[in-house]
Amino acid sequence: MKSKTTLPFMIGIPALIWQALFFYIPLLITFFSSLLHFTEEGLFLGFTLEKMALFINPIYEKVWFSSFCLALSNALICLIIAYPLAYFLAFTGKRFKNILLFLLIVPFWTNFLLHVYAWFFVLEKEGFLNIFLKSIGAINEPIHFLNSLFSIMVMMVYYYLPFMVLPIYFALERFDHRLIEASHDLGARPLQTFRRIMLPLTLNGVRAGFLLVYIPSFAEFVIPELMGGDKQMFMGSVVSHYILGEKTASLGAAFTVISSLILLISALFFYWLLGYLFKPRKSNA
Amino acid sequence: MRSIKLKNLTKTASGSCVLNQINLHIPAGKFFALLGPSGCGKTTILRLIAGLDQADSGEIYLDEEEISKKPINQRPINIVFQNYALFPHLNVFDNVAYSLKLKKLPKGIIEQKVFQILESFHLASHIYKLPSQLSGGQQQRVALARAIVGEPDVLLLDEPLAALDFKLREKMLIELIELQDKLKTTFVYVTHDQFEALTVADQMAIMNHQGEIEQIGTPKQIYEFPISSFVARFVGTTNILNGTLHHLKEESEIDCHELGRFKVYIPQTKEWMKEGSSIQMSIRPEKIFITKKPAQNFSNHLKGSVHSIVYHGRSTQYNIILKNHTRLQVFEQNEEHFPQEVIDYDNEVFLYWQKENAVILEK
Repeated sequence: MKSKTTLPFMIGIPALIWQALFFYIPLLITFFSSLLHFTEEGLFLGFTLEKMALFINPIYEKVWFSSFCLALSNALICLIIAYPLAYFLAFTGKRFKNILLFLLIVPFWTNFLLHVYAWFFVLEKEGFLNIFLKSIGAINEPIHFLNSLFSIMVMMVYYYLPFMVLPIYFALERFDHRLIEASHDLGARPLQTFRRIMLPLTLNGVRAGFLLVYIPSFAEFVIPELMGGDKQMFMGSVVSHYILGEKTASLGAAFTVISSLILLISALFFYWLLGYLFKPRKSNA
Repeated sequence: MRSIKLKNLTKTASGSCVLNQINLHIPAGKFFALLGPSGCGKTTILRLIAGLDQADSGEIYLDEEEISKKPINQRPINIVFQNYALFPHLNVFDNVAYSLKLKKLPKGIIEQKVFQILESFHLASHIYKLPSQLSGGQQQRVALARAIVGEPDVLLLDEPLAALDFKLREKMLIELIELQDKLKTTFVYVTHDQFEALTVADQMAIMNHQGEIEQIGTPKQIYEFPISSFVARFVGTTNILNGTLHHLKEESEIDCHELGRFKVYIPQTKEWMKEGSSIQMSIRPEKIFITKKPAQNFSNHLKGSVHSIVYHGRSTQYNIILKNHTRLQVFEQNEEHFPQEVIDYDNEVFLYWQKENAVILEK
């Protein structure tokens, strides 16, 4: 019995050490440094919550709220696109399944910045999208796609989509297709079957994909910076700005702690919400 | 309680299963078994009736109503799947209540119906368990309860007992018969197991490898009067002797070349029965008597030697080699602890049967 319970633990130790060294300890350091209080000359004065309190400010409220909206809308758009895509891959792909999966992952092989520049070519004033829209007569004057919320969203969805597709795909792949037949046989319409059988049974895939997209896009600052110009301010940009600033590192640390908290609470909330929405009500008399 | 009629049903699948012009009438309120070897298309017939698949051509009628084009969720027909296909995330109650909830019945009525059926299926103490927490037999019952709680006109069962052990299967067979007796719902039971089919069926159809129906009848008709050697061999075990029809009319005889002539009883002359036509004779092993002494009062007899003996408990199986090297099987009931006559390996034995007990088949 003993070896059964200790062995997995032993295997986990290297990963645990790694996690502790490069994640938990830095997080603690960040937390403490956000509480430190120095004079202008660099003299240590003690601990303070002052910097945390700075966060309660309409400007920053707007920043974290737009980060939240960006992450949530990205996760939702990805979910809406990814579920049918994963469904297609898992059930109708058949022979081409592996090739299609491969194609899904291929973009990761090229550098991220190259993708961004590729999208510049698509979205710029004389870009492919404008040329296309003009040629079909949809527009007369080119549209400014770049440096807008639209271009940020396009890039976000483009980049994060596979993180949503893969977990849902694996959940669907394990799904027993006969359950759909049984549901239809018992009188369910396709939408009812989806709602009552498929979604609950692929909930874990949806949850994993949602969090895999939601969490990093909350802190995302490269894409908004590159695609959005300086019109939009997001949490990630603010934190990186302060952390890299000359004397504002501890302010950056404070904002890191706060945004991590917001992220943690909101992620837990969405985890619960997805379960609440997709799990059928249990009968428990 | 409604009947099912299949008219010229044809289905070509990508695999080997092909249905060829199936015409079948499944009477209302009867326990109907569809028996055939694996891959003969019997499950395909079930899937077509349920609406899980679409036929290439042909029609399906529920009484007089054509349902071939009706979507699956609107057919008053439910199916019990071979692997049960219980919803793994729903407990027993919610699995069974699934179809009732879709119909938006009042909560009280749903609860009453579900509790009642679970009670009668001995599942009352497992109501809030998940399917994975149940034994195979219990899962089987849940699948059955889920399919009949909505009171379908026809219940389809696709090898429902295949995953159960022998004892449990025997018990479930009896329960199924009693259930059908009580509900009077039309049951269509698909199996490759002739024992199951003979046990449960009021009427049965035998399918061959070509996806055609060979014979339809009561289990007794099928077993006692098979019309082809395929049916004779597939349902039960039998001995087949080749020969030519010698006499027709009152005293019909079969000429089995090296083995001699045997009298047969032909209740009904068929078109292909002509004097001199090449035929097969089927005799069930239990209808042959075996003894070491020549006996009288039997119209047919044969001589052979015992090749092997298989003891089955309730009966003993003797494998006899005849003089032309044909092998025959004979079953003898083990009626006594100490039989008067002990038959052993290599003994010379005489085999007897009454002429009424042999069946003539077209070759």
